[in-house]
Amino acid sequence: MKGVRVFITGMGMVSPLGNGVSETMKSLVSRKKGIRPLSLFPVLHGAPLPVGEVPDRTGGDVAASEESGIILPRSHRLALAAANEALEGSPSPPDAIIIGSTTGGMLRTEELLKEKNSDPRSYSYHATGSIGEYLAQKTGCSGPVITVSTACSSGTAVLKLALDLIRSGRARSVLAGGVDSLCKLTYHGFNSLQLIDPEGARPFDKDRRGMSVAEAAGMLLLQGGETVPVSAVAELLGAGLSCDAHHPAAPHPEGDGAFRAMMAALNDAGLSAQDIDYISLHGTGTRENDSSEAKAVACLYLDGPPLLSSIKGATGHSLAAAGAIEAIVSCLCIRDGFVPGNIGFANHDPELSLVPTVQSRNTTVKSVLSNSFGFGGNNAVAVLSSASGEGNPSRSDVAPVFSVKGLSCFTGAGGIEKTLSALASGASVAGILPLDEISEKLPQRSVRRLKRLPRLALSLAVAARESAACETGPDCISFGTAWGALSETYDFLMKLYETDEEFTSPTDFVGSVHNAPAGQVAIWFKSTGPNMTVTGGDYSFEQALVTAGMTCRDNESLLAIGADEYHQALSGLFDRSVCMTGVMSDGGGALFLQRDNAGSGLRLRVPFYSGGTEENMERMVSALGGSGRINSDFALVFAGMPAACGRRAKEQLENFISASGFTGPVLDYRSFLGEYATVSASATVLACNFVKTGTVPGIKGGPEHDLRGKGILLLSLGKFISAVEILG
Amino acid sequence: MEELLQELRTRIIETLDLVDVTESDIDPDHHLVGGDLGIDSIDVLELVVMIEKEYGVHIESREIGEKVFASLRALASYILENSPRLKK
Repeated sequence: MKGVRVFITGMGMVSPLGNGVSETMKSLVSRKKGIRPLSLFPVLHGAPLPVGEVPDRTGGDVAASEESGIILPRSHRLALAAANEALEGSPSPPDAIIIGSTTGGMLRTEELLKEKNSDPRSYSYHATGSIGEYLAQKTGCSGPVITVSTACSSGTAVLKLALDLIRSGRARSVLAGGVDSLCKLTYHGFNSLQLIDPEGARPFDKDRRGMSVAEAAGMLLLQGGETVPVSAVAELLGAGLSCDAHHPAAPHPEGDGAFRAMMAALNDAGLSAQDIDYISLHGTGTRENDSSEAKAVACLYLDGPPLLSSIKGATGHSLAAAGAIEAIVSCLCIRDGFVPGNIGFANHDPELSLVPTVQSRNTTVKSVLSNSFGFGGNNAVAVLSSASGEGNPSRSDVAPVFSVKGLSCFTGAGGIEKTLSALASGASVAGILPLDEISEKLPQRSVRRLKRLPRLALSLAVAARESAACETGPDCISFGTAWGALSETYDFLMKLYETDEEFTSPTDFVGSVHNAPAGQVAIWFKSTGPNMTVTGGDYSFEQALVTAGMTCRDNESLLAIGADEYHQALSGLFDRSVCMTGVMSDGGGALFLQRDNAGSGLRLRVPFYSGGTEENMERMVSALGGSGRINSDFALVFAGMPAACGRRAKEQLENFISASGFTGPVLDYRSFLGEYATVSASATVLACNFVKTGTVPGIKGGPEHDLRGKGILLLSLGKFISAVEILG
Repeated sequence: MEELLQELRTRIIETLDLVDVTESDIDPDHHLVGGDLGIDSIDVLELVVMIEKEYGVHIESREIGEKVFASLRALASYILENSPRLKK
């Protein structure tokens, strides 16, 4: 089968250097700095620190509210401005949207929490996942939306997923990018880690003292094809991911993970290090990052590197947007034959083996390596190249098969054994397990700094591997969470507010990033392969399973984890299903999987995930092999119907049944597992267990079901729809 | 000095939630960071916040921090020298 090439055919960005791609580039060429003292929100103690703020006019009208009357957070407005620019002239909406974000609507949420606003509607755009959903609504995209939240590597990690969606034929065009607006969490958080340079970021300089936190949005329109489209600016040749598995917030001191991510990206692109003309460095300006990155580059280039620089001395570090805006700058370097100078660099650091390109220069640039690294040891690297080359036509699997080797879950009843026995006695298992019980098998010292979500994730991971009876692995991790670490986030903000914004907790800040739990799991198992955290509301675990198939290679092992915590103050404000039903529950599930297309025994596959339209329901039935195959392979459907999508989900289920002619029983698992976003992870784990034993016990007084050797089909319904096949 | 050492022991254990450490485990002249107590760089930053809040002593750069956190006694001396709230 012929492979496809992936081209960048549209670009949009708003950054501290300007509104739009050309304004930003003009500033970069003329060596303008976009870093100045914070003015977006008042600072109550000391002088405002230098940050990268997007010029005011770019964010749109601050007071503008949606049709719904809800104020749209700044990040959503920045993202839309960049998306509109990227899609300008595009005849149709993108087939899929993949967005990286670390803080979502946090700036607005901070204001709401401070004024003690208790109307859940006001928080409708809090979630990181709400940005991609908003863009889908605005652009008319009815396909899959995926939200990556791997801290500062997010904006490059999205490119890896977009490549796979296109190479597998699931999408012809993808809008991929990253966004973060400044907010108190990151401004005070990085300051509490003493990672801010009071003079503004000076990447790779001898006297550098840290980064400058910034905001931006960068969006790329990627299009697949066998021939070069007229609008192609460059080609995305490949991308690579890795994890340091070393420390929650600091990079590996020798740049080990960074080196492996660069190697993985070059391999994926089919290039060698010598083919690269320019490296767009992550170069944040912190002592640790720049030292670690310099060592990684030195390992890759024993005879000296090509031209290389970081633009963060000019733009600041826009977190999840950074990788995306740097990918765009890389494309323009290729198009215009230009390499930007490393702004902020004055003196060579004798401890670094690397001296960046200081003066901008005009020179032919054919291929670029673009680096992004982040908290949790997450590393992502992309290779961009001139579209006039031979390219890198590739194919990937649509829905790879995973063998299920190990399982674990937490419900209100406890771990998997207690959950199964409670269910067998006809009880509901929805509820909240005491914190000590969640982590009872973990050494106290290892979890002393971990609050509820990381304890859930780590305990699930440890139990799943134990049940797999594997000595090694997992190679890769894929974690889904809708809301991230609510306890850490809430405690951080409350301490800040209680002390009139004078003090806060650096530990809570490090723990507050959505990918912190997956980072803990990686450190625990020394898992140095791709480590993804995705945060798509009620479909977060489904996204984790979909991305597992994109990042894990044949025969590699992977832990797929889904978890969310119930938080007394926040869950009822953020999660509409919790708010509507008043059900207090949390937990999650983990599966130790091995990618194995020839798999036998218990196995899992995700043939479909997309927007919740009627047409997509028809596509889903056909992706499952149609009515005949559905009825012959599956004895029972587990349906995920979030209370907040009640009527829509019921209609979708009816449509599924009428389109598939499915005659078996359907169990609504939220009715006995509870209402929380990643409840589908527990449901998947239980479904695997039932398929293994061949029966589903009589749940809450219902009849027992004999599966007659068939599998269980998990359907997620509502805003998005997905199908997960569990076969024995 | 002794009184401050004792007070710091309590506050360190409490701030860092050192579940398996007792006050007598913290020797005033042993390494405070990177040793058996399990205190690491993130904990040090947490202690920087606690010390500023409780004693009004700001420990700014990480180079100063390394010396100040060398041992419990070094930390107590630095606080005594710099705290507007404590008599020298």
